Amino acid sequence: MPDLLEVKNVTRKFGGVVANKGVSFSFESGKVIGLIGPNGAGKSTLFNMVSAIFPPTEGEIWFAGKRIDRLPAFKVSPLGIARTFQNLQVFKRMTVLENVMVGLHTSTSSGILSAAFKLPKAKKEEETIYQQAWEEIEFVGLEDVAAVEAGSLPLGKLRLLELARALATKPQLLLLDEIAAGLNHQETAEMSDLIFKVRDRGVSIFVVEHDMDLVMRVSDRIIVLDQGEKIAEGTPNEVQNDPRVIEAYLGNDEEKEEATV
Amino acid sequence: MKRKGIQQMSWKGIAAFTVLILILPFLLSTSLMITKATFAGIYTIVAVGLGLLMGFAGQISLGQAAFYGVGAYSTAILTATFGLSPWLSLLIAIAAPALIAYILGHTMARLHGYYLAMATLAFGIVIHVLLVEWKGFTKGASGFYGIPKIEFFGFTFTQGISYYYLVWAFALLVIVLSLNIIHSRIGRALRSIHDSEVASSSMGVDTGRYKMQVFIISAMFAGIAGWLFAHMSYSISPGSFGLDGSILFLTMVVLGGSTSVWGAVFGALLITAISSFVQALGSKISFITSDFEHVLYGLILMLVVIFLPQGLFPAIAAKLKPLLEYAGRKKKAGNITAVKGDQRA
Ligand SMILES: Nc1ncnc2c1ncn2[C@@H]1O[C@H](COP(=O)(O)OP(=O)(O)OP(=O)(O)O)[C@@H](O)[C@H]1O
Ligand SMILES: [Mg+2]
Repeated sequence: MPDLLEVKNVTRKFGGVVANKGVSFSFESGKVIGLIGPNGAGKSTLFNMVSAIFPPTEGEIWFAGKRIDRLPAFKVSPLGIARTFQNLQVFKRMTVLENVMVGLHTSTSSGILSAAFKLPKAKKEEETIYQQAWEEIEFVGLEDVAAVEAGSLPLGKLRLLELARALATKPQLLLLDEIAAGLNHQETAEMSDLIFKVRDRGVSIFVVEHDMDLVMRVSDRIIVLDQGEKIAEGTPNEVQNDPRVIEAYLGNDEEKEEATV
Repeated sequence: MKRKGIQQMSWKGIAAFTVLILILPFLLSTSLMITKATFAGIYTIVAVGLGLLMGFAGQISLGQAAFYGVGAYSTAILTATFGLSPWLSLLIAIAAPALIAYILGHTMARLHGYYLAMATLAFGIVIHVLLVEWKGFTKGASGFYGIPKIEFFGFTFTQGISYYYLVWAFALLVIVLSLNIIHSRIGRALRSIHDSEVASSSMGVDTGRYKMQVFIISAMFAGIAGWLFAHMSYSISPGSFGLDGSILFLTMVVLGGSTSVWGAVFGALLITAISSFVQALGSKISFITSDFEHVLYGLILMLVVIFLPQGLFPAIAAKLKPLLEYAGRKKKAGNITAVKGDQRA
């Protein structure tokens, strides 16, 4: 049985900036894996490569036995990878429900002509999309705003919406890029409960998070990046006591504050 | 089935519009006005396709009149020169523009940035030159004569009321098909690309593919319009299918608003009305020529882009919405599911 995700010696450069440098790790399915590191450590860059938004400059990424680092982004969703975005990427001018329905795009297949002529297949699929989207809306608890245009929602609801939309693609691996950023205490607590609920559905989760309480609570294992390089990997306990990790965080005053919240 | 939380096609809107179309000929006093109203239908077909392309695929075509011309000339030549039935040549008038759009779109791999605008501009110029120069087939600049009429079980559609209804039957079909597309998984995929291309591709939406499909559909609609135009008149000439025409279609869509099908319809109707009005004035006042018309369209285009970038229809719909909602609430008190988030429809 191959690992679910395998990142092999991945480097990513943006001009002169080396955002990821020789990063390697792998994990099996059924786990919650945390990815932490100070601002600019290269966490989002790594997520962007795993979700095929852009390719690595060097190295390979394998998912469930398939090499994915050269695929166009739209091809990784059907393989079973879904994500949320640190800088929210909701479809603002669509309703909450419609946003989630886009997540069901690849589980249906009727084309533009069968849509135009409302062929039976298109109608049946539309019904399925609608039902399943509602299930995800209920899962994250957005029923009361389902008919509201997404652009008018507050941040907390938008984070839930991104989660529901990603879940609608029925992923094997879910990438959460700072899903709790900007949430208040209670919302953060609810989010970590939701993460457990998602894991109980059998979805493996890869989570980038600055909220240390949250990430230590939900993760089975944690990978630490600093200035593009992997500096540590282990259980939450091991990582917290790793001198290199402590130094990476203490070396950056801003991060120190955030890390001790 | 009534569903909460998604935009659905408003059959009421279509029914109301159909009634308007049905009774309009009885309100128009002259045969010239009926002809204009028929043209409005033909233009609506082109504009709705271009509206899908601009509003939902985020692409601009400067060659829509050329697709319209390909449709018109292919049916003219096939029916008049080769004696094909107009109903058979309709298929070619749709397929030929579709094929050209496929090739144009395909050579660009993915429709990105301004490539499509440039490619269609060049394509439009090529087609215009071909229509003028390929005299063996097209009879050149003086025009192609002798296009037969469309018949249906012995009934001949001639310019006038019968042709008006024929054209608008096609226009309504095109409107309904377009609304169906918009309210489908493809329509949602297209709308999502507009808000965040990166998120929609992460949801598995093949953005390039759908932009391409919409481009092909827009070319097919233009082909249908060309077919209707050719069989309405006895003759056609290259002048109707140049850059002027493409810009006219663009103006219709920009003026009406490209984010909804009805915007394009509204734009086509409004521009046809303005054009008829200006031409009527022109027959009385000497300085109002066809050049004047073009200046006027340019001005409209500029003003709309500056002051109403969404177009007129969404602006008007937004104004009317509270009124309609108020009326709706009075009618069925307590039912709040009618509130929708968006004026796209
Ligand atoms: N598209 C890009 N173009 C140029 N530079 C980039 C791009 N994306 C990221 N970078 C740079 O790469 C480095 C890593 O950024 P990245 O966003 O991956 O960090 P991060 O760990 O997610 O940080 P944060 O905690 O602030 O979200 C930064 O120096 C950033 O400026
Ligand atoms: Mg980041």
